[in-house]
Amino acid sequence: MPIIETRELTKRYGTRPEKSVLAVDRVSFAVEEGQVFGFLGPNGSGKTTTIGMLVGIINPTGGSFRLFGASDAKGLLAARSRVGATLETPNFYPYMRGRDNLRVAAAIKGVGRSRIEECLELVGLADRARHRFSTYSLGMKQRLALAATMLSDPELIILDEPANGLDPQGMREIREIIRILAGRGKTIFLSSHLLWEVERTCTHVAIVRRGRIVAQGTVDEVVSEGTSALLRAEDEDALAAALEDCPEVTSVRRTDDGIIVGLRGGDLAGVNGYLVGKGIHLSYLAPHRQSLEEVFIDLTRGDFESMTEIAS
Amino acid sequence: MKILNVLVRIETLKTVKRRAFWVAVGVFAAINTSVAVDNVRTARRFPDFSHALPESWPRVLSGLTSPAGFFIAVLIILLVAPEFSWRTGRQNVIDGLSKERLYAGKVMLLAGLVALFVATVLLIGIGGILFSPSEGGPEIIRSTDFSYLAGLTLNLLFFGSAGLMLATLIRSAGPAMGVLFLYFLVEGAIVGLIERAGETATRITEYFPVNISDDLGDDLALYPEVLASVNADRAERGLAPLEFLDVEVLVAAVLAYSTIFLLISFLSMRRRDL
Repeated sequence: MPIIETRELTKRYGTRPEKSVLAVDRVSFAVEEGQVFGFLGPNGSGKTTTIGMLVGIINPTGGSFRLFGASDAKGLLAARSRVGATLETPNFYPYMRGRDNLRVAAAIKGVGRSRIEECLELVGLADRARHRFSTYSLGMKQRLALAATMLSDPELIILDEPANGLDPQGMREIREIIRILAGRGKTIFLSSHLLWEVERTCTHVAIVRRGRIVAQGTVDEVVSEGTSALLRAEDEDALAAALEDCPEVTSVRRTDDGIIVGLRGGDLAGVNGYLVGKGIHLSYLAPHRQSLEEVFIDLTRGDFESMTEIAS
Repeated sequence: MKILNVLVRIETLKTVKRRAFWVAVGVFAAINTSVAVDNVRTARRFPDFSHALPESWPRVLSGLTSPAGFFIAVLIILLVAPEFSWRTGRQNVIDGLSKERLYAGKVMLLAGLVALFVATVLLIGIGGILFSPSEGGPEIIRSTDFSYLAGLTLNLLFFGSAGLMLATLIRSAGPAMGVLFLYFLVEGAIVGLIERAGETATRITEYFPVNISDDLGDDLALYPEVLASVNADRAERGLAPLEFLDVEVLVAAVLAYSTIFLLISFLSMRRRDL
């Protein structure tokens, strides 16, 4: 039984068709027990809205989902007691001490005081727990949010951009905590922009763009879906121009190392034959394993291009 | 039962750690103390001024009239609206409360604040009487005093539920308080305009929320003998007698308004995303 299962989950903001915004568009995925599931997408792609529906703060407008097999209101409320989650920025009472904030969360989760101290120790906040939340740095706030998430020793941990705004040291600390949790067999649902981190930490990923899932599977599956090749030639301008019209090629990207092309069928010989026909002789042609970041950028290219257009 | 215990614990923790709560309660207690001290001083200075129970109940309970209601509405807004702007209410739901339970916690907070305000007024008012030289009657409290206390308590619930409605609808303390202040002005202005239209129209204004709540909090509406004496005095001066709706009508109307306010805030909490 999947821990999370969504079917055609949809969220539309606004009721008037001409003014409404489709934030999540028929999203379906499943997260099995023990997976570290990366949920990736550019800003505004619907990641947080999807998570918001799972944790009960946003009402879906279509589709359905199950948490630990439960889909009715009563079952979901019980299932959510097995979930630890934090969304976007850490949300705590600024006038209360770190420890008191955890006392509120612990009371809701039905957890004793000793567990509060354990979690504070785990995230390295035991020394600052008597200080007000408003005096915490962003890194400390993120760590307090992680502590709150772990209070009930949940089976499923949902983290939305846990490394947002952190310095490299803070990111490393968060990554270590995630690794410790994954090592304990927790199911982790991680939304993040840090693709290199996700590639190293996650077992499975789903990439979401404009509210729709555009790729999902194990990290290897998603990366290998984007079969690509690295090409070099003496005249790279001519090579790039010829590749634009090549039927085997899905994308062309110039790099310092040469030209990386996405391939429709993985047919390198076909590409070489096409280029010879155009009078271009390659000095280098080899399969190229894309990183998750490259796959992500390829799949969400439109969003990035529009951003660069605005910037320029 | 367990969930009620949880809600009481978290709402208590959130409230007692908030400086605004202590400032509001402190100011309220200080105002009541100054009134109580003034009453005792007057009783000591003027033997004709009797400050003893049961005659002084209206004086003791005057601490629960309109300003107390306004206090409670503002305090509820200050305590509830930031749950939205700080997104802590949202985190409470993520941590395992349902939206309905989060709302139930706020209603319990309202009930707790009303109980606290009533207890503060009783404690300070009765405490003051202990220092008064006046001699009291054979009974400490009469049935009309109970009715007056119940009416004033209902009034606090009315103002608190209005505050809760504004906090959950507007979700920001400043604008919610602004709307509350504005409503008082707008209702006053509308009543003024309607009253020019004649007596029939004026009857309608008696059912306006602030008007009806003011009437329920007016001791003249609850103590017929006091009303009779005031009206006799007015008759001597050639003024028209004061009239109030029946207490049952006032109670039903205030209850109806409070229920509507609570229902609106519940639906808003349930239907809107956090």
